[in-house]
Amino acid sequence: MIAHETPPAIRIADLHHSYGAKPILKGLTLTVRHGEIYALLGGNGAGKSTTLNALLGFIAPASGTVRVCGTDPVAQPRQARAQMAYVPENVSLYDHLSARENIGYFLALAKADRGADAIDEALREVGLPADAWDKRLSGYSKGMRQKVAIALALARDVPVLLLDEPTSGLDPRAVLEFNRLLDTARARKVAVLMVTHDLVSAVDIADRIGFLADGRIEEEREALATGARFDLNALHDRYARAGVSA
Amino acid sequence: MSAATLIAREEWRLLLRNRAGLIATGLLVLLILVASFTSLERRSAIAADRDRYQTSVDRDFDAQPDRHPHRMVHYGQFVFRPIAPLAFFDAGVDGFTGNTILLEGHRQNSANFAEARQSSLLMRFGQLTPAFVLQTLAPLLLIFLGFASVARETERATLRLMLAQGIGGRSLLAGKLLGHGAIALAVGAPAFAVLIGFVITGSAAWPTIMLMIAGYAGWLLLWAFLSVVVSAFAGRPRDALAILIGLWLVMVVLLPRALPVMAAAQTPLATNIETEIALHRDLLEVGDSHDPDDPYFNDFREDVLARYGVETIEELPVQYAGLVSIEGERLTTQIYADAARRQAAREARQNGLVYRFALASPLIAIRQLSMALAGSDIAAHRDFLDQAEAFRYDFVQRLNRMQAVLIPGIEGDDPRIAAANWRTIPRFSYTRPNPYDRIGALVWPAGILLGWLIAILATAMIAARRIERSAR
Repeated sequence: MIAHETPPAIRIADLHHSYGAKPILKGLTLTVRHGEIYALLGGNGAGKSTTLNALLGFIAPASGTVRVCGTDPVAQPRQARAQMAYVPENVSLYDHLSARENIGYFLALAKADRGADAIDEALREVGLPADAWDKRLSGYSKGMRQKVAIALALARDVPVLLLDEPTSGLDPRAVLEFNRLLDTARARKVAVLMVTHDLVSAVDIADRIGFLADGRIEEEREALATGARFDLNALHDRYARAGVSA
Repeated sequence: MSAATLIAREEWRLLLRNRAGLIATGLLVLLILVASFTSLERRSAIAADRDRYQTSVDRDFDAQPDRHPHRMVHYGQFVFRPIAPLAFFDAGVDGFTGNTILLEGHRQNSANFAEARQSSLLMRFGQLTPAFVLQTLAPLLLIFLGFASVARETERATLRLMLAQGIGGRSLLAGKLLGHGAIALAVGAPAFAVLIGFVITGSAAWPTIMLMIAGYAGWLLLWAFLSVVVSAFAGRPRDALAILIGLWLVMVVLLPRALPVMAAAQTPLATNIETEIALHRDLLEVGDSHDPDDPYFNDFREDVLARYGVETIEELPVQYAGLVSIEGERLTTQIYADAARRQAAREARQNGLVYRFALASPLIAIRQLSMALAGSDIAAHRDFLDQAEAFRYDFVQRLNRMQAVLIPGIEGDDPRIAAANWRTIPRFSYTRPNPYDRIGALVWPAGILLGWLIAILATAMIAARRIERSAR
């Protein structure tokens, strides 16, 4: 069970942001605690990607507070990013590099080079076959790329993990494997913020689910400690009311 | 290792794993080497030909029989401009201006009025020399290698991932600039090695070679950096490529060709025929030594008689016709020199206009710097013409003085002087100009290249600030 008194790894309070004249975030408030998996669900244009951009320090919000492990990502982007690993929706790695080389390069950029063993360990953890480790990514499937990106995030060994539509395009088995990886991250006390359309996967793995609509969290549900973690039917109805198909 | 170095190293690894990029780079390097060796060979052949022809015509001149000196004035002397050692690297105007001139009495060599010296010749696509490859083709390769450097990261969203690792836009751009700058220098390296090899053989001076290498390094870096910066501003690689190809067309093809046409229209040069007619008119205005009533030569005759204290031409101790030839040569030379000066001034105005636009097309700057250092620019050619003209005047006046002094002692209707006299006449010896005597011709193009580099790097700073925004 998550200790509620622990200071949150991610704290967003009353966040407002607009692109031009169009307001996107209108008072978004959410927290993600260490060792918690938070699934942020919402329709297109609800502000999910803007939320991630705010956490990564790619945008400067008009007002509100964003903190990652206590660091303001706008004022101190490098320090904040040093606390986070980010897995984008369309896994963007280098096709001319192998899985090992990709991870090695990004770890070096992050000044988190922990040696070849750590890379191999991460690749093993995500279940990428060892005979693929030294092959160029140009021959990888989407699922394999996703695993490399997750391995990179794990190898970073940071307290916060941001996932943008992590199960998009993955087959059910790969989704299952992916969720087991998130279990591992949770066990390591990593705070995971997962932006997704995939209600089923969210129900399977999340500790809390937040519905983002019109730039703010309209409703939050917490997983039950015993039995069915969420009432999937109720969630589905709620999700459909928000104008999004599960 | 810094983030910039890591990113630069990644660019090199990408190039090494990109077959098309490697093949294109290999071909360009091969082209530079082929151009270097064929150019060296061609230069050696031309130099040997010129030496052989010079020796031959000098021998023929010395072998002339006893003659009237005035016939030798019209026999004249051929002189060949020795090709500059570094002309193998940059042939400059050498191929267009001609290097063989006939020096004879009463007229300057026609090369001084050649239409080929219009400013347009400065900008022609030339022979396959290392300079041509570096100036025209290497920028295309650097565009090809660099156009996607940043735009690719933006389009494929690796930029977000990179920034998410905690690196800043400035580090990212510094890495790309470092990576592509090093690739640019590697592309130029074979040409630089050839130049260094040339100086090691003692055929050129170290400072000249070092300046040449610095100039071309600046030119190649300019294109590598420009490619990266345009790539950073353009959202997509194909947009960056279109912009860069457009810039190449304007800066390397269009402006250097259009500007001389503009300059020629603004300050037209007289054609050879127009020049000949104008000179003929000027010569007639001075006077006709064969006309007994010509006022100028009547006054000249009276001055000569008074100087020698005699009453008639026949009483002179020297041949009067010889003195007329000396005076006539002085006058015609003055007229030709004035006309040549006016022509040179118009050429300078044409070139001045072209050079001012080097701000918009740095190709003009690198060409000027390269030709000036190679000793193959228009100024070096003019220096050759000036030296040849000074020699011609001295040569003709020596013969005229022989006529005035030696002919009176010779009897007969067809007086001739001994052939041994021809061998006392000095031969043309060309002293190559020192490029550093015209330091301005080196400073302004170097300044323009440096200015472009500074401007591109300043723009890169702006691009670096925009990079994080483009990651959204």
